[in-house]
Amino acid sequence: MLGLDFKVVSAIFRKDMRTYLGNPTGYVFITLFIMFTGGAAFLQEEFFSRNLADLATLNSVIPVILTFFVPAITMNAMADERRGGTDELLLTLPVRDHEVVLGKYLGVLGMFTLSLLITAIAQLSVLAFLGDPDSGLMFATFAGYWLMGALFIAISLVGSTLSQNPTVAFILGAVGCLLLVLAGTVPWASGGVGILLIALACALAWYTFSQETVGTLVAGLLGLAAGSLVWQSRNFGEDAEAAADGVEAAADLSSQFESLFSHLSVSEHFDSFGEGVIRLGDVLYFAGGAVALLYLCTFLLGRRLW
Amino acid sequence: MASEDDKERPVTIRADQITKLYGEFAALSKVTFEVRKGTVCAFLGPNGAGKSTTMRILTGFLSPTSGRAQLLGRDPAVAEQRRDLARKLGYLPESGPLYREMTPFEALSFFADVRSVQKPLAAIDRVVEQCSVGEVLHKPIYKLSKGFRQRVGMAQALLHDPEVLILDEPTSGLDPLQIRDVRGLIRELGRDKTLLLSTHILQEVDAVADEVVMVSEGRVVFTGTKEELKEGGTLEERFYALAGGKKKEEAA
Repeated sequence: MLGLDFKVVSAIFRKDMRTYLGNPTGYVFITLFIMFTGGAAFLQEEFFSRNLADLATLNSVIPVILTFFVPAITMNAMADERRGGTDELLLTLPVRDHEVVLGKYLGVLGMFTLSLLITAIAQLSVLAFLGDPDSGLMFATFAGYWLMGALFIAISLVGSTLSQNPTVAFILGAVGCLLLVLAGTVPWASGGVGILLIALACALAWYTFSQETVGTLVAGLLGLAAGSLVWQSRNFGEDAEAAADGVEAAADLSSQFESLFSHLSVSEHFDSFGEGVIRLGDVLYFAGGAVALLYLCTFLLGRRLW
Repeated sequence: MASEDDKERPVTIRADQITKLYGEFAALSKVTFEVRKGTVCAFLGPNGAGKSTTMRILTGFLSPTSGRAQLLGRDPAVAEQRRDLARKLGYLPESGPLYREMTPFEALSFFADVRSVQKPLAAIDRVVEQCSVGEVLHKPIYKLSKGFRQRVGMAQALLHDPEVLILDEPTSGLDPLQIRDVRGLIRELGRDKTLLLSTHILQEVDAVADEVVMVSEGRVVFTGTKEELKEGGTLEERFYALAGGKKKEEAA
């Protein structure tokens, strides 16, 4: 049964929030976030040529901004505990692994929410000064930013759980976010997301069945290989002088594979928020993705792979 | 030799054939021992013998590759039992890691919160007094000396008044005066709690322990009282012999 002690989650959340706000890092993050989002929103020629009090200019670059900012605040969440040895204290307290993961996640989400709130106040003030922004559109847009950040934090938390080195954790998080950002536009990114998901599904399925680490890693690698074979099927057959229709079928399969996973693109699910529409499917994409990744973090933490 | 009375006391800590493999390397190999209620047991061994790995398995931080640990009748490798056990267990990891940016008061408040300690302020006052950390209570931990950090670590381990204490090298990095204080505290705690403390310092064994479990190269090489350990030589000679010193000397 999935028990949850909110007192534990809240204690970890408060401790991490205090850490962020108790040293300059948190304030540097907030300042840079406001500067970058402000620059992306208002320092583009398009903003003035469109003559509309909205954030369309920011909407097109926010996934890229978050791809770098979110891993930067998340990289230390788990990695720092392991580097400082405090994970040994934390994980031998009367806590469940998912309570630790949730407390850590909410700590970073709290910091991101605070940054976004300050950004919202700053940006809405500028828009209100220049024109008459639509409140519904603004609410939906910022809800989209928040949900995207919530998903990216979960991705970055996986990176932070995997490595005690913050730089490696940052790179893992940024690459994960970047794959989702590029998935809709670059075919290799869609394929990359696809094979990673297949590998993860195979590994988790094997683990659920066997609870065994080596088999889980082998299942993940087999999933990775199988996914790669399907994705790259267009490259096989040409050398073997296969019949023309066979080559076409393989190319078709590759394209279908890329097309299938391109639907996981962040942009595809964020665009409607930028137009003032909140779709349940898009909310579920962000929230469901975050929940699935937090489950993955709990799994990794539970295996104590170090 | 353990008296009949001692043998009637219930077993609080039990390691049963614990093996821990890292790839091909066996950090622990079929480690088996028991610690009875109300005993101060020194877990003795040279550096790299597997003391910390054993402590981590006993506290549930690591899982054994095979074998089973039991503390207060609970298996720390089983998640819900580990959580239940953690309420009755105080643990000081090696080198006393703590949240460096917090003050001791903030750190103790955090641990009290997570442990759902009743009357947290009274509990903090008690351990601050026990471990003599009052003068640094509101200084950031990163500014404290190693001795004070170690004492804050001890304070967090005692905060919830646990039945069992596992201390990994509790006097490491302390000066002689601090060592004397910590040993005094361990003796005092040993009156009504079960303590397992890892050490490679022979004077520590002599000063505080009732029982000794000695490990070398991941294997248990001695279990018994400290008097039994001393039979046939001094503590130093026995330690040297049991740790394989003679064998290595001969090989050289």
